[in-house]
Amino acid sequence: MDSALIPKGVKRCPAWQFIMWIGANGAVLTWGVFALLLVYFKGLNQTNMNNAYGFALWIWADLAVIALGGGAFFTGFLRYIVGKDELKNIINYAVLIGFICYSSALMILGFDIGQPLRGWFIFWHANVHSMLTEVAFCLTAYFGVLAIEYAPLVFENRMIKKVPFFHNLSHNMHEIMAVFAATGAFLSFFHQGSLGGVPGVLFGRPFGFREGVLVWPWTFFLFTWSAAAAGPCFTILITKITEAVTRKKLVKDNVIDLLAKISGWMLFFYIIAKIGDTLYWANVTAPSKGSTFMDFYTSSSGSAYGLWILFAEIGVCGVLPALILIIPKLRKTQATLWLAVILAVIGLCLNRWVMVLQVLAIPVLTFESWFTYFPSWQEIATTILPVAYGVIMISTSYRYLPIFPQERELNPIDEPAAPPEVAESEPEPTDAGPEPELSPAES
Amino acid sequence: MKVDRRSFLSFILGGAAGTALSPLPWKLTDDFSIWSQNWPWTPVPQKGEISYVNSACTLCPGGCGISVKKVDERVIKIEGLKGHPVNDGGLCILGLAGAQLLYGATRIQTPIKKVNGRWQKLSWKEAITELAARLKELRAKGSAHTVACVAGSDRGTVPELFSRFLAVYGSPNFFRTPSIWDSYELALYLTQGTRSMAGFDIENADFILSFGSGLIEGWGSPGYMFRAKGLLRKNGGRMDQIESRLSKTAAKSDHWIAINPGTEGALALGLAYVIIKEGLYNQNFIDQYTTGFSDRKKRVIDGFPPEIVSKMTGISTGTIVALAKDFARARKPLAICGQGQGHLPGNLQEFLAVHTLNALVGNINQPGGVWAVPEPDYIDWPELEMDGVASEGLQQTRIDGAGSYRYPNARYLLHRLPQVVNASDESPVQVLFVVDANPVYSLQDTASVKKAFEKIPFVVSFSSYMNETTALADLVLPNHVFLERYEDVPVAYGFPKPIIGLARPAIEPLYNTRYVGDVVIQLAKELGHAIGAAFPWADYATCLEETLSDNWDTLVEEGYVVDAEFNGTDLADAFETDSAKFEFNNNEIRTLAGYNPVKAEGDEASYPLLLVPYDTMRLASGYVGSPPFLVKALEDTILTGSQVLVEVNPATAKQLGLSEGKTANLTTPKGAARVKVHLSNGIMPGVVAIPRGLGHTAYDKFLAGKGVNYNQLSSPVEDPASGHDAAWGIRAKLSRA
Amino acid sequence: MENAKKFGMVIDLDKCTGCGACMVACMAENNIPFRADNTDKMLSISWMHVYKLNNRKLFPDYEECYLPRPCQHCEGHGGHSPCVSVCPATATDYDMDTGIVSQIYPRCFGCRYCMAACPYHVRQFNWWDPLWPDGMEKMLNPSVSVRMRGVVEKCSFCIQRYQQAKDRAYMEGRREIAEDEYQTACTQACPAGAIVFGDLNNPEHAVHQLAQPDPARHGHSKNPRAFRLLERLGTNTKIYYLSSREWVRKAGDNYLEGEFKSKAHS
Repeated sequence: MDSALIPKGVKRCPAWQFIMWIGANGAVLTWGVFALLLVYFKGLNQTNMNNAYGFALWIWADLAVIALGGGAFFTGFLRYIVGKDELKNIINYAVLIGFICYSSALMILGFDIGQPLRGWFIFWHANVHSMLTEVAFCLTAYFGVLAIEYAPLVFENRMIKKVPFFHNLSHNMHEIMAVFAATGAFLSFFHQGSLGGVPGVLFGRPFGFREGVLVWPWTFFLFTWSAAAAGPCFTILITKITEAVTRKKLVKDNVIDLLAKISGWMLFFYIIAKIGDTLYWANVTAPSKGSTFMDFYTSSSGSAYGLWILFAEIGVCGVLPALILIIPKLRKTQATLWLAVILAVIGLCLNRWVMVLQVLAIPVLTFESWFTYFPSWQEIATTILPVAYGVIMISTSYRYLPIFPQERELNPIDEPAAPPEVAESEPEPTDAGPEPELSPAES
Repeated sequence: MKVDRRSFLSFILGGAAGTALSPLPWKLTDDFSIWSQNWPWTPVPQKGEISYVNSACTLCPGGCGISVKKVDERVIKIEGLKGHPVNDGGLCILGLAGAQLLYGATRIQTPIKKVNGRWQKLSWKEAITELAARLKELRAKGSAHTVACVAGSDRGTVPELFSRFLAVYGSPNFFRTPSIWDSYELALYLTQGTRSMAGFDIENADFILSFGSGLIEGWGSPGYMFRAKGLLRKNGGRMDQIESRLSKTAAKSDHWIAINPGTEGALALGLAYVIIKEGLYNQNFIDQYTTGFSDRKKRVIDGFPPEIVSKMTGISTGTIVALAKDFARARKPLAICGQGQGHLPGNLQEFLAVHTLNALVGNINQPGGVWAVPEPDYIDWPELEMDGVASEGLQQTRIDGAGSYRYPNARYLLHRLPQVVNASDESPVQVLFVVDANPVYSLQDTASVKKAFEKIPFVVSFSSYMNETTALADLVLPNHVFLERYEDVPVAYGFPKPIIGLARPAIEPLYNTRYVGDVVIQLAKELGHAIGAAFPWADYATCLEETLSDNWDTLVEEGYVVDAEFNGTDLADAFETDSAKFEFNNNEIRTLAGYNPVKAEGDEASYPLLLVPYDTMRLASGYVGSPPFLVKALEDTILTGSQVLVEVNPATAKQLGLSEGKTANLTTPKGAARVKVHLSNGIMPGVVAIPRGLGHTAYDKFLAGKGVNYNQLSSPVEDPASGHDAAWGIRAKLSRA
Repeated sequence: MENAKKFGMVIDLDKCTGCGACMVACMAENNIPFRADNTDKMLSISWMHVYKLNNRKLFPDYEECYLPRPCQHCEGHGGHSPCVSVCPATATDYDMDTGIVSQIYPRCFGCRYCMAACPYHVRQFNWWDPLWPDGMEKMLNPSVSVRMRGVVEKCSFCIQRYQQAKDRAYMEGRREIAEDEYQTACTQACPAGAIVFGDLNNPEHAVHQLAQPDPARHGHSKNPRAFRLLERLGTNTKIYYLSSREWVRKAGDNYLEGEFKSKAHS
């Protein structure tokens, strides 16, 4: 049915299966859109946010998704600036994942504001001192860059390529892609950092506040660093999941290994910096404001903000994956590689959670107590929405675009007319529910 | 021209780029955002000319001066009147929210009557004719005395018009709603022989000893007390609060002395013991201006040594002795009593004991002491001409028995009315007027009060609001609200100087309402004969102006007339007793039952805890319901969602297996309610405290259905000395829900 | 700026009775909306909020204190208040002439970053459309604009009253307004006289005399009874609290063990 659109030399599942898969995800998407419309028309009272939790699940999702999308800029940086040529085999996918992440982030930002119709004031009445302004500008600009980076891939589609205009455009864009990659990397270093600055500049919130260099608090650098370190892990994770779902090898091991190794060393040095930052903050910054380290963690059992969260973030999801990824033997073992990238991704998400939600949960006035929050279903649905959107984007792109340059080589098709029974008797495990596998990675 | 693909694409792209660069999208977005800020349901207040009307607040008997801020003909805010002798610019939270009572949703907009359980509108003429016909009929039947009136006060032109009407019609059954002032008046009368009001020169005292009075929680005139408490502090004065719960007053005192609830009188007597025993009393005052001291001394020394008092009150003897010494040695010590805001009259012997403390230290009619403030005397209407029916009716004993052999000293015993009505086959009250009162909500034992009101054949409410009492009425003749009417404010409770205020209309009445005074006058005229003749005025406005004739101009100009020079009557002329002295004891006092702590109803085995009500400024618990701003300002440790929180000591809660925020069943001999638990170390173990002013069944969504009305869980307890309601709490049990 | 004013407040917690009059006066003055259920204080708007503090002791040594909290109008260091710098749309401003932190409602698009920045919970969000029951919209004050759903609002020190006082002075040909001409609604309403408002820069004003700000120490008070909330964070607030009780003064800020030194000798 849609075979004319499918790239040559690769095999894809039957159209009905694809449609069902998209339909299932579309249902989740529709649920999210319904919640979004509720939020849009009835206002933010549909959430469980309050005056203590002005920032909550959505802002966390924003920060997390942008950090995870950091794989795009850092892989691009390595490929085009540093010149790690092997990465050309994964850069397309990294860009696509980045594109999904950033478009999701922009969408969430679009409804996470009380007056969405005035959202553009952030550009119009921009306050250059605000970290959010910097975020908004860089984010939008970088989203444009990602779109430009993604566009040539779309033009590679068999049917679109037939149009000479797109064909030439695509060719010319390839030529200058390094410029965009460099621009993207530059923008990303800044907005990832600005996102780190969001809690870091809050000198009224001693848990988030950090000293720093000039106008940039330490979190500015830590956020960029952690996104560069764990973002590629997310790219690897999604690649691995895609391979598992499609039951195909799509990227050669040496490519993954290179990215994993770089990621591992980045993570290793990041976590040292993070530990240093934590120690300095706990021993110097916080006490100077009259708080002890333990003022920021609850001692009651079962609390969301016990010390466990710090150990989970830095130890289990920081040091551990970093060690796995820098030890070649472990890195090259599939099971430990999986474990490492999953932990790294969780660690990154935990860091963003702590830097947004815990900052607000902690009572600063001595006569207040911890603030609690649990998201409403509308918040959860709208946060899952981008996951469904991402799955659809990936599925569609994978089906119709030559995303993985090594796919043909790794999965040679001998006879053009593959026996249809194979497809039927051995359906791709789309119904087996890849969604749950995908969701934690994207959310 | 042939449009090929290339030119088409160029056109589209070029057009898009051109549009984006033009001001058009920005202009449209800007318009859009402005439009999006102008939702029709977001009101835009109209500008207009700003003006102020100086008036008096009548929402409570505090007598504060207010300044009503208007924009054109809209009242937008109420502020305290600067320079007013009572409140000098400050104003309580209820007064500040007063404009919400003007524009509130539960206002009654026209006369209505209940026909087969449903409200029906009628004209004023119809309403008055109908009511007059009923009254004529009763009078003709010789049942004039079955007409009764419940009013929030018995002073001022409006209550006086009613009592005049009842008298000339032939009924002795005028009631004033109960309060601590019943007991204070009686204590002053018994010891000093004057019919006067107690005033407290708080600001010039240097030691206030409060036996549970919510000095900054609505006791007396809030506007004055707040200010005076501030001045006391400024002058370096001390204040000690004796109370089982850390009220705000206790929290703002120098010492909080927790006491077993209901034993305050015992402590006062114990303090007297120490003062007498140690010879710390004011010998000069005792010698010159008092009699009966030796009797009193004997009674105190025999009955209330610190050891016994300590056992009763739970306060150590050391504290009692030290407190007594501090009090007696202070330059201007002043003892006050009456629980919380003073909604219940309390134990007369307790009031006498506390008043005696002031006498012992000689701080009566002295600067910084308690003053007998003369009753306002401006109402000087022509003598009544009674016809036969009236004279006969007035011979009847009052329904509540006040003034009878059994209750010789009480003037009004409203809490007995439901009991008497419920106990009779046919209601002894056939027609009941209710004015400036909401007894169905504010009297204890709501179920019995409701039953009585349902039994009374014809209840006429003059309320401006559909409150609980009005909901049970048969005819409603809505009054103007306080911002729409003239009214004299004859008293500021607890204020040490005689003062008259004048409430003036800030705006024209919003609805088809009418002055209560006008209705009484018109009703009397409709009944004619001697009754009509007793009301010679054309209307209420004339009546008011004539009544206040001497002061009218000053009142209109200043809003109040105060006897600023009043400094307590000279002691030589102060006492109107037979001895012309302060009488520690006399024949009347001797006949009273002696001091005994009033027991809370219920047996200890089934109800191990004591439930006590408390007052907060953030809830109106008088005849006015709390406007939305008050409920909004209420702490989340008092109300959460629509559930009230009761205060419990953590130790008690632990025994009961309750923790913070847990839902529990609160049961008393009179009823049960679902509440939440708030743990507080500011309450004695074994005591549960619940706020007054919640649990309304009437009013709007901002108030109705929130929390529990304490009165539905409690019941009156008769004071053996006076007959007044002396309950201070009730036994209760609290269990996990 | 030579003639710059710095409006501030001194709240005497010894006098404050926790009655809540300041809250309601503010609500009436500033068109604060109300809802059927306002019991969740973190969803309810009240520019002035009265906190209940306690000394964390058991019965009968337990004590309470009430602390009214308007916007603290932080000056930070050089006008760098926690909330102003973070607003992406310049919807809030620190006025160097008055020291007032203002909020421009039609500019705010509701990102709530300022709420996250403010440790005092002074900034509150319009989670719902502000609606008034029929007839009650007549009470609205035309000098204060009604906010819309989805924007942040906060105490403005009744800036409209400053404007009106200045206008009046201008009409009468005066350049300066007197101390009592500009008073906030809460100050005016407080029945206990616990709130004093005025120009902290003006030695003649009562606030200056009570607060005794030390310019060398970012306004730190020289009055041993005075303290400011979370002064150690560098917010440099303009609300000074007075209390003769040590535990109350200590509750105003975070201290490490043994760090709190009582200034008062009481």
